[in-house]
Amino acid sequence: MPQKIVPLDDLGDLVPDGATVALGGAWFCNHPMAAVRQLIRARRRDLHLITLIGSIDADLLLAAGAVGRLTFSMVTLEAFGLAPNFRRQVESGQLPITELTGLSMEAGLEAAGRNMPFMPFPGLGNPVTSALVDQNPHIYSYVSDPFGGEDVLVVKAIRPDIAIVHALRADRHGNAQFDGTYGMDDELAKSAKVVIVTCEEIVPTDVIAENPHMTKIPAFLVDHVIEAPFGAHPTSHIPRYTIDGPVLQEYAKVVTAGGEDQAAYLEQLASESEEGYRTRVLPERRREILLELVRQGRVLAGATS
Amino acid sequence: MSEFTIAELMVCRIAAEMEERGVTVLGSFTPLAYASYMLAKRTHTPDAYMIGYNALGMPPVELAFMGAEAAAYKASTARWGFLAAVNVVHLANRGNVEAVSSAQIDGSGSINLSVIGDYAKPKVRLPGGIGAPEVVQNYRTMLAYFGRHDRRVLTEKVDFATGGRWPIDPRERAQRGLQDGPTKIITPMCVLIRDSPEPFRIESLHGGATVDEVIASTGFELVVPADTPPQTPAPTPEQLSLLRSEIDPFGTIQFDFMSGRERVDYLAEVIEREWQRAVDALDDRGSA
Repeated sequence: MPQKIVPLDDLGDLVPDGATVALGGAWFCNHPMAAVRQLIRARRRDLHLITLIGSIDADLLLAAGAVGRLTFSMVTLEAFGLAPNFRRQVESGQLPITELTGLSMEAGLEAAGRNMPFMPFPGLGNPVTSALVDQNPHIYSYVSDPFGGEDVLVVKAIRPDIAIVHALRADRHGNAQFDGTYGMDDELAKSAKVVIVTCEEIVPTDVIAENPHMTKIPAFLVDHVIEAPFGAHPTSHIPRYTIDGPVLQEYAKVVTAGGEDQAAYLEQLASESEEGYRTRVLPERRREILLELVRQGRVLAGATS
Repeated sequence: MSEFTIAELMVCRIAAEMEERGVTVLGSFTPLAYASYMLAKRTHTPDAYMIGYNALGMPPVELAFMGAEAAAYKASTARWGFLAAVNVVHLANRGNVEAVSSAQIDGSGSINLSVIGDYAKPKVRLPGGIGAPEVVQNYRTMLAYFGRHDRRVLTEKVDFATGGRWPIDPRERAQRGLQDGPTKIITPMCVLIRDSPEPFRIESLHGGATVDEVIASTGFELVVPADTPPQTPAPTPEQLSLLRSEIDPFGTIQFDFMSGRERVDYLAEVIEREWQRAVDALDDRGSA
């Protein structure tokens, strides 16, 4: 059995410049942010970033100049507004993009996971209702229905070189468990040639076996396991911590300003270790508050389904 | 409690679309719609099936900016990955209500979440649509809501059609195996509806809005009504009480009506209030 556990410091060696990298998570939930920070420390360049619903993960890598191409369905800072670096780099024409509808992008990733060349995708009607289809002939096309129906839209398999996702816990074999939001991390792990799991903690296999239903990514899909406490911060990792509103707010402010403010922010991230980041940004009191915000999340009276 | 905001009226109008069949999915950053789903779950459709994040069968939750995600998991009854959930809901006729919001909509029902200006060299690069194209094409009813009603938003032709709905006619939809509900647009002025090859018509007017104002503020053709359309029902005291005290005490439904500096400042207050609530709870526990 190969040694799968590696330190976060080695991530840069696992992700070469120019690699096609899919990041897990969605919205402000459970993006592999420790990995994103480490790629910035390693000063990676020309990555082809794949994100279904990116936020600070994608915008930060774009800010750092790490991304040479972007495949996505949505990139947004949500309530904080449009993602400034994504905006700037697309509007200036410097960043080549492939924009897909959400479910067809998921279908393309699913196709790769099953080793299929493409996936039929009739979900946009016939004729199709999205101009993204005509915009992207390299990824959308049509096949005739061999059973006599109308022609069917197909989406080409989307095969990342590397997928990076953040789990609640994993064992040394790579069995990765989740309790809160995991987006389509399980499908990314099926689609990619190399799968890297960062996790809040590495645990003995016995602990995994106590709750096997929580294992969304089984060991045979996983190549590398990295322990990274608060590895999704400032995005959320339920049930450990919610999104960190004030830290995201500060990020939005800095990258909206751009220029020297943004450069200083990036230099700080690049020059400190992940442990240094936790010490600087996440003192004990802040960790308690982020957990308390999880506890404070309120279910309203009324029936559940 | 007869005073209410236009946001609250819109929440109640979208909530009225909820039914106890099919599934409602929390879409991407549609705070006003989230409040509608929670309100419906707390009033006329307690058994409406709701999916948020990876939580299936999620309960109605308080729409705290940071805490709502955690709450979604506390009483939900299943966990599925996105691919598992959206394929069988969005694509297989199980979608009941998911209200979308976009930068533009036109008279064909096309929505734009991609670019203002030219696609290759946009004036404004928007976030992208994620599941909205599949939602508006396949759900029982296409519901689109907007925080503004003017000719830039309800425009003659969208700069880019990220998604849309076709066909419109219920019989044609049924023939193609699609759910046969109408397309509705909910704005701060009115509700527009389209269920035939004819243009959108006014289903109801809010408050003091007039037919002439709606026509003047809409960039695409509308059917001019022979008679004055009915008034959109006002929120009830029970609805307002639930919204203000339980569902949205932090006022997140206002996000849809703000942009730029105003929203940044408002959001800072919302975050500060929720943060302080957690700090107070921690301190209480510490001193107990």
